[in-house]
Amino acid sequence: MSSKTPLYERHLTLGGRVVDFAGWMLPVQYEGVLAEHKHCRTSAVVFDTSHMGQFLIRGPEAEKQIMRVGTQDARAMAPGDCRYGFLLNPDAGVIDDTILMRLGADSFLLVVNAATAAGDFHWISEHLDGDAGITNRLSEGWGKIDLQGPLSARVLQPMLNINLTVMDYYTAARGECCGRSCIIARTGYTGELGYEIMAPAADLQLIFDELLGRAEVKPAGLGARDSLRLEMGYPLYGHEHSVDNNPIEAGMGGFIRPEGDFIGSRAIDSLTEAPGPNTLIAFRAESRRRTNPGDEILWDGRPVGLVTSGAFSPSLEVSIGLGYVRSELNEPGRQLLVRTARCELPVIVEKKPLYRNGTCRTKQPL
Amino acid sequence: MTPAELHFTEQHEWARVEGDVATVGISDYAQNALGDITFVELPIVGAELAKGDEACAIESAKAAASIYAPLSGKVTEVNEQIEDDPGLINTDAYAEGWIYKLRLADPSQVDSLMDAAKYEGFLAEQGDH
Repeated sequence: MSSKTPLYERHLTLGGRVVDFAGWMLPVQYEGVLAEHKHCRTSAVVFDTSHMGQFLIRGPEAEKQIMRVGTQDARAMAPGDCRYGFLLNPDAGVIDDTILMRLGADSFLLVVNAATAAGDFHWISEHLDGDAGITNRLSEGWGKIDLQGPLSARVLQPMLNINLTVMDYYTAARGECCGRSCIIARTGYTGELGYEIMAPAADLQLIFDELLGRAEVKPAGLGARDSLRLEMGYPLYGHEHSVDNNPIEAGMGGFIRPEGDFIGSRAIDSLTEAPGPNTLIAFRAESRRRTNPGDEILWDGRPVGLVTSGAFSPSLEVSIGLGYVRSELNEPGRQLLVRTARCELPVIVEKKPLYRNGTCRTKQPL
Repeated sequence: MTPAELHFTEQHEWARVEGDVATVGISDYAQNALGDITFVELPIVGAELAKGDEACAIESAKAAASIYAPLSGKVTEVNEQIEDDPGLINTDAYAEGWIYKLRLADPSQVDSLMDAAKYEGFLAEQGDH
């Protein structure tokens, strides 16, 4: 039985094509994937991301406990800081990729993927060994929306009591949006300037309605969310990250704190010293023809890797993708072949991000 | 809504038959179901197709589909415009979004297809408008 987010009825009213995603009823598109994607890159869109896990971790030992189960350097985080990182198993396999937000001295919010949220909660609960507790916000009726696009600050500012001019990328704060208490994080998954807004259901509904009341804003679904993140080369759990992959081969060792004892730290040390044979690459084709997860990657007639994500890029107007290949082939400009269902498609290795005009880090949001 | 002169298959291809030449595309229902079309692998000019053969492939943002020959014949022309602008199929499935033309082996084969009214009835039966 799929779950409904606080915004389910609105998706239907807006003409969203709703599907089951990780056990939640969510829209894959409204007007169309290409139109929504473009609108995000040029104006502003809102995604319903209420399916994603939100865990409050609080207590005098919250910082210490978080640093045992996760790879973020929570000690180095001031209230308001956000950091990307991982929950690892002892072999450095990725249980989930996460964003940690510090709300106060003893209070953190961990945002995790929907499909893995139940497992993550269980894993963290099992490993908490000190004066800290974990609460699942979703079971308290909270949800989340992602407002993303170059005009997002302009749209949000009149509704918000936080000055967005001084809110840096990857920071979060408690605030009031449309007069309702919420948590705002300047984070996102599109490469554009944007804000994730977390609030209890009724407040989220009001905020969503207000945002969509603005002429600049359109709703966007999971289809556009995927093509946007792929253009940035951002990983998707279950594709680029899994318990069978580690962050080192994904090229993300830089997000892992170099010292300290977290679950998987020994394996990370070994892998840093002696990496495995493969590396995550981004590629683009000259053609519009898509590659699919699981497609074999070939070089010099031999299989050298597998595609993990593939899609048509609306911004670049060609097929793009991510995949793991033998590390020596990770050279921008290197020509490879992807064996799709219908043909062998020539592709070229590229540096990430594939789309280079994203506004997410702008110093002038307004 | 559905152009009266067209004939349809149950796989949602349409054919406009003029003498022994048929222009082929996919219906408005099909383009809507597929969503934004991102790529079309056109048939090869000169290919001989039997009714029901796979003629070409289409990809959309979230799906892929094979398009079948509604009638037997030889491919004489393909719509090169849709190679760079496959969205024409979404915006104008019955005119600018045409995919290929066939010189028909047997023009009377069109009797095996549904006419426009029958196709609309077929769609209604499937529970769609």
